[in-house]
Amino acid sequence: MIAGAPIVVDGVSKRYETPSGPVAAVDGVSLTVRPGEFISLLGPSGCGKSTVLGMVGGLVRPDVGRILIDGDPISGPNPKKVALVFQDPGLFPWRTALDNVGFGLELSGVTATRRREIALGLLEPMGLKGFEAKYPRELSGGMRQRVAIARALALDTPILLMDEPFGALDEQTRLLMGEWLVEIRRRTARTIVFVTHSLYEAIALSDRIAVMTARPGRIKDVLDVPLPYPRALDAPEAVDLHAKLWAQLREESLRAMDGQR
Amino acid sequence: MKIWLWRALVLLAALVLWEAAARMLNPILYVGPSRLPPALGRVLATRDLPPLADHVWLTLAEIAAAYALAVAGGLWVGFLLGLRKTLGRIYEPLLAALYAVPSVVWYPSLMLFFGLGPASKIAFGVLLGFFPVTLAVLAGIRQVPATLITVAESMGAGSWTVFRKVMLPAMASTMVGGLRTGLALSVVGVLVGELLGARAGLGYVINYAYGLMMTAEYAALVVLVAAAVLLLDGAGSLFEARVKRWAG
Repeated sequence: MIAGAPIVVDGVSKRYETPSGPVAAVDGVSLTVRPGEFISLLGPSGCGKSTVLGMVGGLVRPDVGRILIDGDPISGPNPKKVALVFQDPGLFPWRTALDNVGFGLELSGVTATRRREIALGLLEPMGLKGFEAKYPRELSGGMRQRVAIARALALDTPILLMDEPFGALDEQTRLLMGEWLVEIRRRTARTIVFVTHSLYEAIALSDRIAVMTARPGRIKDVLDVPLPYPRALDAPEAVDLHAKLWAQLREESLRAMDGQR
Repeated sequence: MKIWLWRALVLLAALVLWEAAARMLNPILYVGPSRLPPALGRVLATRDLPPLADHVWLTLAEIAAAYALAVAGGLWVGFLLGLRKTLGRIYEPLLAALYAVPSVVWYPSLMLFFGLGPASKIAFGVLLGFFPVTLAVLAGIRQVPATLITVAESMGAGSWTVFRKVMLPAMASTMVGGLRTGLALSVVGVLVGELLGARAGLGYVINYAYGLMMTAEYAALVVLVAAAVLLLDGAGSLFEARVKRWAG
C-alpha cells in the first residue's frame, strides 16, 4: 500500500517566448499538497494549470522557484515517484492495451512475465478484462483513457498527476470515470493532483480545490471539500460550494476572455 | 474475389485489343502479345544478342547497390535534418528544390564523373531513390504525435529510448511508403542509365535489340522487365500493408 508523498510548490513562475513577445504563464504559485490528498487545480483555460502540473511532473522547468517531492527538489521526470495522465490518452497505437500498460515497466527493466501480471491485475478491475489484446483503435474513448490511467498506475508511484484526464470524454462517461477514480483512490492512497476546468468534477472528486486566476496564473484561493464519498452534487453543501467556486471562477473566466480578445 | 475476376477480364481485353491492333499494322514495328513468348525464347537462345543471364545479374547487382546506398543516404540525411532542427531549417528547402529538378538532367554529368560502366548507373539509381527515402523520413518525424513523446519522457525515457520505442514505430508506415517508392525509383534510375548509354546490363540488351530492329525481342524484354518490376512492387506493397497493420 502506497502512502502518497507530499508536494511543495514553492514560488514557481514560468514565461514562454511567443512570436508576439514573452507571455507569463504562471506567476509565483505556491502550494503544499499533503500526502494522500486529492487536490484539484481549477481555473479558466490558458491559466497555466497544466504548466504547474508539468513542472511538478518534471516536464517543464520553472524559471523561478522550486518544487520539492518528499523533500527533494525535482530536476526532471521521476517515474519512481510521479506518474502522469494527460487529456489525450497518448496510447501507443502499435501496442496492445496490455503492452501499453506495461510500457513504463518495460523502461525500468521489469521482465515480460511480471509486466503481464501487473498489467492484467490493473486492467481487470477497470472493466477491461478481455480487452488486453486489443489495440487502442479498437477501444472506445473511455476505455482508452482507462488504459492510459492503468499505464500510469502500473508505475506504482506515490503521486499521480492528471491533466484534464476526462476532458475529451462525453458527460456520462466522464461521470462514470469520476466514480471509478474515487474507487481507485479508496484502494490505493496516492497523492493526486487533478487539473480540470469543470466545477462539478472538482467538487465530486477532491479533498481540496485550488482556484487559479486568469493568466498569468496565480493561486486565488484554496477551498476544502468536507463531504463524504460518494458525493451527491445536489446536496446543499455541494450547491453552496459550487456557488462560491463559480463566483471566483466567473471573475477569472471573464478576465481570461478579455485577455483573448 | 470479384476484384480479381475484373482485373483478369481487363487484362484479357487489353491483350485482345493489343493483338488485334498489332495484326492490322506493320509487323516490323508493331508486335502483338502472341509473338512475345517465341521472341523471348529467341532472346535466350540467339547469339545475335549478348547472353541475357549475365546482363540480368549485372542489372540486379546495380539495383541492389543503388538501393542500398539510397536507403543509407536517405535515412542518414533524413534523420539528421529531421532531428537537428537548425540543420533542417537550413537544408530542407534546398532538398525540396533539388527534388523538383527533373533528375534526368543530371545523368550526363554522372556519366562524365563515373564513366560508362556500372558506377554511373548506380549513381543515377542512388540519386533517384534517395529523395523519396529522405522525404519520407522527414515527413515521418513530423508525424510523430508530441503526446507520445511526452508520455515516454514522463516515464523516464531518454532520447535514445524515445527514438527506438516511440519515434521509429510511429514513423514506420510513412517510412515504409518512402522505402517502397525509393526502390521503384532506384530501379528506374539504373534501367534508364543503362538505356541512355552502357556496355552491359538489361537496359543495354534492350537498347541493342532495338538498335538491330529486333522489335519482337525488344518488346519481349520490355514486358519481362515490366513483369519483374510488378512482382517487386507487389512484394513491397504486401510488406507495407503488414507494417501499416502493425503500426496502426
